[in-house]
Amino acid sequence: MKVKVIRRVFQLAVLAVLIAVPIYTQNPIEWAPSRIALGELPPPRVSQVWGDTWSFSFYGINITHPLAALEAILAAKVVYLPLLMATLLPLAITLLLGRVFCSWLCPVGFLLELNQRLRGFLREKGIAKDVKLRDYRYHLLGFTLALTFFFATPVVSAFDPPHVFGRELFYLFTYHSVSLGGIALLIGIFAFETLASERAWCRSFCPAGGLLSLLGAKRLIKIQKKKERCVLCGECNIACPYNLRPVELGIDKDFNDKTCDNCGLCRDACPAGALYYTIRR
Amino acid sequence: MRLSRRSFIRSSALLWLGFFGFKMRREVPVIRPPGATSDFLARCIRCGKCGEACPYDSIKFFDISAGANVATPYIDPLETPCYLCLKRTSEGKDEPLSDYLLCGEACPTGALKKIKNDRDTLLSLPDELKMGISVLNRDICLAWQYDSCGECYYNCPLRDDAMLDYPPNEVITGAVGIRPYVNEKHCVGCGMCNYVCPVNEKIAKATVEPGRKLTYFEERYAAMVRNVIGKAGREVKLPAVRVVKRV
Repeated sequence: MKVKVIRRVFQLAVLAVLIAVPIYTQNPIEWAPSRIALGELPPPRVSQVWGDTWSFSFYGINITHPLAALEAILAAKVVYLPLLMATLLPLAITLLLGRVFCSWLCPVGFLLELNQRLRGFLREKGIAKDVKLRDYRYHLLGFTLALTFFFATPVVSAFDPPHVFGRELFYLFTYHSVSLGGIALLIGIFAFETLASERAWCRSFCPAGGLLSLLGAKRLIKIQKKKERCVLCGECNIACPYNLRPVELGIDKDFNDKTCDNCGLCRDACPAGALYYTIRR
Repeated sequence: MRLSRRSFIRSSALLWLGFFGFKMRREVPVIRPPGATSDFLARCIRCGKCGEACPYDSIKFFDISAGANVATPYIDPLETPCYLCLKRTSEGKDEPLSDYLLCGEACPTGALKKIKNDRDTLLSLPDELKMGISVLNRDICLAWQYDSCGECYYNCPLRDDAMLDYPPNEVITGAVGIRPYVNEKHCVGCGMCNYVCPVNEKIAKATVEPGRKLTYFEERYAAMVRNVIGKAGREVKLPAVRVVKRV
């Protein structure tokens, strides 16, 4: 079975949650002073499920993105214990499985993956270009964390794309409007990605992904290759969205551990079935 | 050390970005949700959960034009005031909806403190956790001028503690109706009075076209509202009771 199928189920589930939560929590009744004055208050809507990929609550269980917690701590210079508890689950997942958030859960990553068809089409027509970009994620992470610390304001929290995406959905369903900045950012990322460089945000700019990469560098689950099966066709190199070279696994053991997000696209692409997930020894 | 033009541009761009960040970081005089700490802007991770938790969708969020305040929550009492997580029963009584104020319960970082949702806790809330305070301008207040209002008093969620129907320690001759008085000690600044006050722009400017059904407020207060505003002059701040930030 292809990993991609399971991955799509996860990604669609996240998308469904991001749409369902704001619909579930919104109060469809409009306020009107005249009605209040007559003693009618709109009926309240109490829910226990809130949030998106940045921070999520389910009946008292909190899950918060490690970068969100790090920013709050650096900006406020206070450690709030419930916040640390909320990061335990994502930290454990990232430490064991790598930055699977990016490939298995992130809604923007999902939409950008789907966007590859459009990009491929435009490239054939000669409209879309291939801009070579290096990996600036760690520089951006350091820079934003410094800003957060010195100006005492969480920075990535304001523009992290999957969070902005969830936030805009929430604004859309609850206030029937979207915020200009968020939509401009998402359109900008999609346009740049389509016309200039494949998976540019995920690959070169995302500070949140950068932090998860650092956390997942020593992960337990990783891709490995059965050398005797490999036919050196290079299909896996083409499939990898991060321009890693799975074909060199085992030959040149310097496989980019930090960048790989265990998406399994190389494993799916391999015609010989040489690539597989393994537990690091 | 030689500095090439390229690296100079790069490093000065970083400086500019930092400067920009500094310019953008400003506290805005705005009503935050209840329980907002003094270092709110530093602690808030813009997750938006307070807005989702709010049972009346009273909490709104800033757009990019608010600089560093982007996606932080605020309450605009003229549009949707905070009703302190109470529900109004069919008998007209107010009952708590939840054990804690829901926005504070939803906040993952403690930027909004968790506040117990009962009257005693709210009445003894420390000043720095309150949203603001109501200020009443007696010169344009219909209750004070014409003895004919009292919406703010009737709709106050902490009625008889935060909003009194008569000022204590004051003797007013010829008083018949309600004379609303904000008790600074107990007012949490939820904005309900601000919201229901009929002395507002909308009613002052409302022109009644034939065929349109009058709202309750227009029918009852419009003439008086134009009167008091006319007397007080154009510069007067509306409505008669406003929520401002505590200092």
